[in-house]
Amino acid sequence: DNREAMLNSKSNRLTEALEEANKLFDGVCRAREAALDAQFLVIASNIGKEKANELHSEMSAFDSTTFAEDLLTFMGINRTEVEETDDSEDVPGGFLPSDAWQTMGEEAPKYFRRAPTFHYMMGSFKSEPPVPKQRIERQKKASRGKAERAMPAQLKKMEESHQEATEKEVERILRILQTHFENDPNTPISFFDFVIDPNSFAHTVENMFHVSFLIRDGLAKIKLDEDELPIIEPTKPSGTGEEETRAGARNQVVINLDQKEWK
Amino acid sequence: QVSELVQFLLVKDQKKIPIKRADMLKNVIREYKDAYSEIVNKAGRTLQEVFGLQLVEIDTKRHTYILINNLPRAKGEYLCREKEKEKMGLLLVILSFIFMKGNSVKDSALWEFLNLLRVYPGKQHRVFGDVRKLVMEEFVRQKYLEITPIPLTDPPEFKYQWGPRAEKETSKKEVLKFVAKIQGKDPTFWASQYSEAEA
Repeated sequence: DNREAMLNSKSNRLTEALEEANKLFDGVCRAREAALDAQFLVIASNIGKEKANELHSEMSAFDSTTFAEDLLTFMGINRTEVEETDDSEDVPGGFLPSDAWQTMGEEAPKYFRRAPTFHYMMGSFKSEPPVPKQRIERQKKASRGKAERAMPAQLKKMEESHQEATEKEVERILRILQTHFENDPNTPISFFDFVIDPNSFAHTVENMFHVSFLIRDGLAKIKLDEDELPIIEPTKPSGTGEEETRAGARNQVVINLDQKEWK
Repeated sequence: QVSELVQFLLVKDQKKIPIKRADMLKNVIREYKDAYSEIVNKAGRTLQEVFGLQLVEIDTKRHTYILINNLPRAKGEYLCREKEKEKMGLLLVILSFIFMKGNSVKDSALWEFLNLLRVYPGKQHRVFGDVRKLVMEEFVRQKYLEITPIPLTDPPEFKYQWGPRAEKETSKKEVLKFVAKIQGKDPTFWASQYSEAEA
């Protein structure tokens, strides 16, 4: 390739070519030829610039191969082990650990003045982006998980009185619990699985609040299973209703759950 | 209006794509167009005083802006997502290569170098995924790198240089410090790069 030959710093081919072009231009009288000449000049100047660039780096002895090796060293390459690659590439020997670029990532930010990216913590009332996100969360919660959690997609409106809303919620939760038990009567649900909402601590607390009504009214009961973990099941609507309420002695349980534990 | 603009800029900056004046006018300033400069200036002051960020116009013709960090570099940990830091690592390596090679490199030379680091344009990378896309599109869109075609090359070739965001967020001096650290030498070892960085 002529280009490579011209790039060679030892060669004068570029100079010779330019001189020849100069001579030829004297004979030019048609526009097309002049255009060709211009084209030639552009290529020549590009090559000239490249040559100048090469000279520059030679002067200051920057060797990219050594730089690459030193970078690999910095990233923790292990040169005593040979990396087993299924493709036969020409790789310099050594095993590059999977956290290689993490190591680089720890060092890099020190050299940049990059603005940390701004994110809303809890979402605000005004701005657009956080609101759709909350809605999506609710819908996602509604459709995910076990079949018995098929909840009505409608969210209760905020205008309803608090009392009504609570009652409705409690009923809904009872129905879910009962449905699960109809489908699978021998598997009690872990209390925590039932109440915890992995996406919202506040909702988790709400769930516990509603479940406590069920317990109070004797509609559900909590027991400890063999691992000493609480499980919840609906109480059987039996004629021995009175016995139940007596036998289900008024146990009080205080559950301590803060955000850290919830996480 | 000012605080709305401040919020707007902060959110827009998340992807690190430069913010256009047209977007600012359309979404925030709207009817207050005449007070535009005043609002922008005040927003800039707020960003500086409250967040320590600098609003910089990187293109005076097309009026695009970026946010950079004006606080002195903290020595502690960087509250940045892992993915972002790893990308910055790759970027720093590329910027160093470009600078040390005279501020401009052909794309073939860049990829030849990255191959030595087990990063290949045609191959899905464990950390970076589609690296070619990351380098040629994302970094370029964020203005960290600038890519220009080399005229009359067939097949077409490109050259890479530092983009305006790189010029603002880091410096030749910083990058030379990095190279020196990696290679265990003093920055003065590379005489011409050193004098260029100190200029």
